[in-house]
Amino acid sequence: MALLLFFILSALMSISIVLLKNKTITRFISLGYALMHIWFTVYCWTHLNKTELNYFTYNSMGVLLLSVLSLLAIPTLYHGFIYTSAATVKRYNIYHAALIALMTFMSGAYLANGMTVLWIFVEATTLAVAALIYHDRTEMALEATWKYVFICSTGIALAYLGILFLGFIYGRKDASNLSFTSLSDIINQANPLYLKLAFVFVLIGFSTKMGLFPMHTVTIDAHSVAPPPISALISTTLMNVGFLAIFRVYTLFASSSILPFMNNVLILSGILSLLIAAGTMLKAKHLKRMLAYSSLENMGLVSIALGIGGTGYYAALLLIILHSFAKSSLFYQMGQLSRILHTFKLDNCGQYMRLYPAGALVLLTGMICILAIPPSGLFISEFMIFKGLVFNNKWFILITAIVLLCFVIYGMSTRILHIVFSNPLEESGMGLPDKINPVETTSQFVLLGIVISMCFYQPPFLVDLINQSFILLPK
Amino acid sequence: MVNYLVVLFAITLIYFASAERLINYIRLIGLQGILLCGIAIFELKEINTANLIFIASESLIFKAILIPYLLTRIIKRSGVTKVHRLAIPAFYTIIFSIIALLISVGLAYSLINSFVNTIYMAIALYTLFTGLLLIVTHKLIISHLIGFLIVENAVFLFSLSIGNEMPMLINIGILLDIFVGVLILGFFGLRLKPHTNELTMLKD
Repeated sequence: MALLLFFILSALMSISIVLLKNKTITRFISLGYALMHIWFTVYCWTHLNKTELNYFTYNSMGVLLLSVLSLLAIPTLYHGFIYTSAATVKRYNIYHAALIALMTFMSGAYLANGMTVLWIFVEATTLAVAALIYHDRTEMALEATWKYVFICSTGIALAYLGILFLGFIYGRKDASNLSFTSLSDIINQANPLYLKLAFVFVLIGFSTKMGLFPMHTVTIDAHSVAPPPISALISTTLMNVGFLAIFRVYTLFASSSILPFMNNVLILSGILSLLIAAGTMLKAKHLKRMLAYSSLENMGLVSIALGIGGTGYYAALLLIILHSFAKSSLFYQMGQLSRILHTFKLDNCGQYMRLYPAGALVLLTGMICILAIPPSGLFISEFMIFKGLVFNNKWFILITAIVLLCFVIYGMSTRILHIVFSNPLEESGMGLPDKINPVETTSQFVLLGIVISMCFYQPPFLVDLINQSFILLPK
Repeated sequence: MVNYLVVLFAITLIYFASAERLINYIRLIGLQGILLCGIAIFELKEINTANLIFIASESLIFKAILIPYLLTRIIKRSGVTKVHRLAIPAFYTIIFSIIALLISVGLAYSLINSFVNTIYMAIALYTLFTGLLLIVTHKLIISHLIGFLIVENAVFLFSLSIGNEMPMLINIGILLDIFVGVLILGFFGLRLKPHTNELTMLKD
């Protein structure tokens, strides 16, 4: 019943925001939604592995990612309030109604226990994100929105083909919802070619959401135009949705003979993602695009981690969680940076430490965290990935990954250090910087604090939940 | 009867490779909608009548009438009549199309399954490849939209092949039409220009 209540209340909140046409009421409703989301997450924690409405289960992985979303809900709404403060009432309300819809759809996707329901929620997230990317109503926003919907639609259609191949495996057996549990019983009798095709289609299709090669371009374009708080969600919790969909199918097929094939495909996709991220990072001139390339790099590492198996599973999940905190704080900071410097173009940025020291500190700390430099918690996960590669004798992959990561570290650190300490290469001439109270930056420090603390201490409940998430996978 | 309709569907795909006018593309999309409606009626004998009426009428009204009508209005408004390929002459496109057909047939025969019709599988795969080929080899965004419509038809055809066993998969697949609606809205409500060669504002 809790889940049904959550869905009904979310729908009512989203609709009432559009109908009531009042900014103050919108703020109250949005905050109410964030609190309700936290309550729902706590409920899921206390009812682990319970199935509700037939199609949803509070499984470990889903609850883990739902918790990440819950933690990011309040800062995302808060930064959204600031970003949209100058917007008309109509745009303001559409933004917040779509944001609530997006968070609800993502929550549904996390908890779905079957492929079809998961797919429906992923499709729904695309529509909500489209409304959010188009918030500024500029030509660029229109282009980004159209591209986003088009590429996501194609990807989602391909993912659906993957699901249909799962249907072919079933044949005439009763499998109305293609649940993961019912599929796992017959996977070993299936034609491996069907399984391979299904996996490839699902990987390509959902990589539009995960931001992984070969469909990575869609999220990168969306990032450069979307409001920064939305970029924070696209780059973290929405990517987690894509990861979850791929992970579910991977787990499902892991007991079959195609496990080595899936591992090789994941490693290849990961390395190609790293290659593209490294190449594009070195020529990035737009700050938000640079952060998008960084997300591509991290998703590449997650893919490699899944592909190597063993300790890689733990590393992948830890990386996904910590990346969400570090990247979202950097995107929130981008919103503040644009209020000070009035641009995202690298050449026009500079002297940020002098203009807004708290923001500069977030950029520097965020850079250390996202590049997995100790004391970042991401260092632990990347170290585990490298260890896994050594144990599996994948020396070529290891060396390639390290070389490419060096390019990423160089590209990102030189750009952020330039923004923080150097003078701008070109004057933007966009007027005086806004005055920002450093208190507005608190949430970013808190999120980065979590990432750093994870380097020294990972709470047992988190470790347990991560371990439970891949309990079905071969050791 | 179903096999005749499926083969006719494949012929429309070959014609896509050689057509050079947008209006022909739109007519072919409309024709595919009618054929899909016919295939649904003749193939889905085991599902309940209400669901069959819904699926058949959806493919007829949406795929065969509404979408072609809206696309025609778009090209009339913009004055764009010819498709522009990305430096690939029609001859090579036909060659690619035939290669795609051969690959599809080969793949379909290696996927022989007691309850999935091999002809269905081959044509559905061929439809998928044709749609993707159209997206990759064309410049205009309206051609990309037509490419997506073909991919969507491929998904529909795939879902029809197991429609008797899992009718829910057809109904869920129909949700993809929402995206088509949003993309067309991009042209109408949002004033996106279909003759835009490429969407290239977003780059470093």
